[in-house]
Amino acid sequence: MKYYKFYIAPFIALLAISCTKVIDLKLGANTGQLVIEGNITSVSGPQYIKLSRNVPFTNTNTYPTVTGATVSVSDDNGNTYPFTEGPSGTYSINPMSGIAGRTYTMTVLTKGASYTAASTLPSPVQLDSITAKADVINSSKNEQNISVHYQDPAGVPNQYRFVMYVNNVQVKSVFAFNDQFTDGRHVDNELRENDIKVYPGDTVTVEMQCIDKPIYTYWVTLMQQGNNGPGGSVAPSNPPTNISPVTLGYFSAHTTQTRTIVVK
Amino acid sequence: MARTILLILLFFIATASFAQKRHTVSGTIKDEATGELLIGATVRIKQLPQIGTATNSYGFYSLSAPDGEYTLLFTYIGYETIERQVVLHKSQTINISVSPKSTLKEVVISANKPNNDNVASPQMGLEKLNMTQINQVPVLMGEKDILKTISLLPGIKSAGEGNTGFYVRGGASDQNLILLDEATVYNASHFFGFFSTFNSDAIKDVSIYKGGMPAEYGGRLSSVLDIKMNDGNNKNFTVQGGLGLIASRIKVEGPLVKDKGSFMISARRTYLDLFLKASSDSTIKGSSIYFYDINAKANYHFDDKNAIYLSGYFGKDVLSLKNTFGTNWGNSTGTIRFNHIFNNKLFSNTSLIYSNYNYTIQSLQSTDNFKATSKITDVNLKEDLQYSMGNNHTLKFGLNVLHHDIAPGDITTTAASSFNNISIEQRYGFENAAYVSDEWKASDKLTILYGLRLSGMFLLGPGTFSTYDAAGNTVTSVKYNSGQLVKSYLNLEPRFSASYQLNEESSVKASYNRNTQNIHLLSNSTSSTPTDLYVMSSNNIKPEIADQISTGWFRNFKDNTYEFSAELYYKQLQNQIDYKDGAQLIANQNVESQLTYGSGRAYGVELFLKKKYGQFNGWIGYTLSRTELKFNDINNGNYYPARQDRTHDLSVVGIYQLNKRWSFSGTFIYGTGNAVTYPSGKYDIGGLTTYSYTQRNGSRMPSTNRLDIGATLEGKEHKKFHSSWTFGIYNVYGHADPYLITFRDSKTVPNTTEAVQTSIFPTPIPSVTWNFKF
Repeated sequence: MKYYKFYIAPFIALLAISCTKVIDLKLGANTGQLVIEGNITSVSGPQYIKLSRNVPFTNTNTYPTVTGATVSVSDDNGNTYPFTEGPSGTYSINPMSGIAGRTYTMTVLTKGASYTAASTLPSPVQLDSITAKADVINSSKNEQNISVHYQDPAGVPNQYRFVMYVNNVQVKSVFAFNDQFTDGRHVDNELRENDIKVYPGDTVTVEMQCIDKPIYTYWVTLMQQGNNGPGGSVAPSNPPTNISPVTLGYFSAHTTQTRTIVVK
Repeated sequence: MARTILLILLFFIATASFAQKRHTVSGTIKDEATGELLIGATVRIKQLPQIGTATNSYGFYSLSAPDGEYTLLFTYIGYETIERQVVLHKSQTINISVSPKSTLKEVVISANKPNNDNVASPQMGLEKLNMTQINQVPVLMGEKDILKTISLLPGIKSAGEGNTGFYVRGGASDQNLILLDEATVYNASHFFGFFSTFNSDAIKDVSIYKGGMPAEYGGRLSSVLDIKMNDGNNKNFTVQGGLGLIASRIKVEGPLVKDKGSFMISARRTYLDLFLKASSDSTIKGSSIYFYDINAKANYHFDDKNAIYLSGYFGKDVLSLKNTFGTNWGNSTGTIRFNHIFNNKLFSNTSLIYSNYNYTIQSLQSTDNFKATSKITDVNLKEDLQYSMGNNHTLKFGLNVLHHDIAPGDITTTAASSFNNISIEQRYGFENAAYVSDEWKASDKLTILYGLRLSGMFLLGPGTFSTYDAAGNTVTSVKYNSGQLVKSYLNLEPRFSASYQLNEESSVKASYNRNTQNIHLLSNSTSSTPTDLYVMSSNNIKPEIADQISTGWFRNFKDNTYEFSAELYYKQLQNQIDYKDGAQLIANQNVESQLTYGSGRAYGVELFLKKKYGQFNGWIGYTLSRTELKFNDINNGNYYPARQDRTHDLSVVGIYQLNKRWSFSGTFIYGTGNAVTYPSGKYDIGGLTTYSYTQRNGSRMPSTNRLDIGATLEGKEHKKFHSSWTFGIYNVYGHADPYLITFRDSKTVPNTTEAVQTSIFPTPIPSVTWNFKF
């Protein structure tokens, strides 16, 4: 259902003689805000919490790091995991792994302010396979679309996020799905994107994350803002964070597993 | 308030019966050539200039005057004025036919002064367009378009290229009531808003009320667009049509029984899909893209007092990609109307109306297979009465019972599909109303139109109805049986407008009206995707309410050849609807949990100068306005500009008749860009450049401006056959109006970001259409 816009777009293009051009815009700047990106995964190894600040739109894509913070994670089983900084702005612990069903709470102390967020690590769902299929339009060009296959567990709400890499370069698209329409089904989900075209011979890696509801809302909000379909989508806003007090970013405890194929 | 108005009304009814001996003249006014009833044609008495009236939507008029001998004047724009002597010793029926005059003749003969109704009438915020003007204004790809043409009037703004709908005085596009022969049209656009569903061949009359809504209309906050179809020629059979770049149309009309009954059938279809057939790609070749419209109408006049009308509309958009994806959507409407004249003072119209909008989206691939359908069906019974009393009162009153049946979404799939079958509970409800209004000529100078509308919303079972807290969690969930009342709302809507005539050529007017709305469009996209979802007022959604006050100065110049008006308005909106972040609206049983509620205000000034007659005519409209919304969880609870807030809006329309064969036209528009939300910073999340935002709609798209021109060449006069060519150029100087602005990582300079503007029609687009009639 979420795909219909992708199909409609080429029809609009057919009627319209549309063009795009890069323009100069005067944009306001509200920068220097704290950005927290924290992830606890189900795979044993280093877990990272990154602190940075946002910059004006016209700057380069380099973001000042926030150093000297006190960062820790605790779980609902009474364990506390202190994180240490290094390199600058990146706080980590090694080794650690998240356990399904457990709720993790992140605490970040910086410049006298304390930020907390909690996230529950969902039960894992197996990523069965990823496949590639030729695009139906212009099939002679041999462009491929990547699909993920998994069996959604029936009767429980599940949320998923996928991260896709083509020849080790991350595709700049957000993929977040829930099982509102697919509960209990064997799901074949196409990861539609306009960033990197996939051809035979390319190596494609997909990471599947099982995420909790608040984190799903976070990603799906970003995804909707990214999919500027005909006429523009909803007015964009900062996606709702699970961090309190409100700041940019999120804290997510999630499962992770990856599959790689070479497209034939 | 209600009681006061009723008392006043009763008082006048009582006094009317004690008035001096008066007689009534009533009848219909028709087009001599086609027998079409004319709407808004005026009747006045030469000797008593303060007495006058206009035909109603059914071509009927009724006028009272003291015993005496008079000259009656029958006028209609673009038609010869007819004078008729009457000896008024008793009430009588006078049916009149008027014949059109050619534009050129009109320049020479100006013996009959054009009327000054726009000054004298208490009605404010009403714009009328005649079909001749609509047909001459240049449009995209030569497809004459009522919706695009009305957006050239002040206070009415087009949602922009490739967007559906229009905004009236800051209201959202679902706050317009669009009526086609009294039936609600839910989706008035084809092809995502590039074209409107109204085929102008089949249309007789277009009126739009921006404010001062008469009490007989209700159910939407911002405007009423009242479109009436042609009745059909009851004298001769005619066939007319046109061949255009993207569509062809044909209309057949003629008498069923000469002078008693006639019919009209009009159809239009696009042939964009022929381009697809030419494609070398087999998938594109096997795909479809088209829309069509069919309008049909028939009428029969049993006698002078009884007439029946049947009209219908059916339109559909079809879009499909071979073996992959298909979608179609469309409206259908049907109206049965029965007009009865009880006597020369009391006119009755009874209508039974059906209206339906539905869509289907289908994915045909094996693992993606699904079919999603949704529909809304209305059945509406309406009784309208018009009573002309002596002492200058015209009373209108009526009842309206409207049943909604909404099937928000059904999804059916196959076993191999990734998707489940889902069926969302159907919703039923009644939207009922009763109204009364009186147009009272209080003195030669003061006319008052006042009335009251009582609207009721009754949401009925069966089904499970929930309430939600602010966070969207279910608080209560109750099961109701079939026909059981779930929730009801009653609203009183006072309507008032008055005009005070300063002299023959100028007047001041003021109005206040309250409107309520009980059916709401949920769509989190501004384009007309077919997934428009309607919901009724419920436990969670309260009726939307608008209170509008407006005041204006109206002035005519040079024997009413020029009209000027300045109107000021202020509108307060309650119970407005917006969506939460990440809202999921499609096939969601708990869709109401995804909503958030707020208020709004809109105010502005509209200036309008129009030259109605002559070789050169046209208008200039300018609007200075502001529209703001307020939601607790948006922008820290402060007012912010609505997306459709447009500070400046200018339209200029000119039509020039060079000679009998050539006429030229041009339109120019300028508008402040839409209020949008641009990033105020950026950061990195999960390897993606992500933008941060501070203020909702705190930025502006670049302004829009465009010039379109057109020319019409009439073919040589033949006895039976007439043809013409219409040429047009859309966007003459190729200005790239912004459609969409997106932000992305630069493709050329690594490690930076850029803003990208998408324009839909950045180059001039020529069009040519050949029209014929025989």
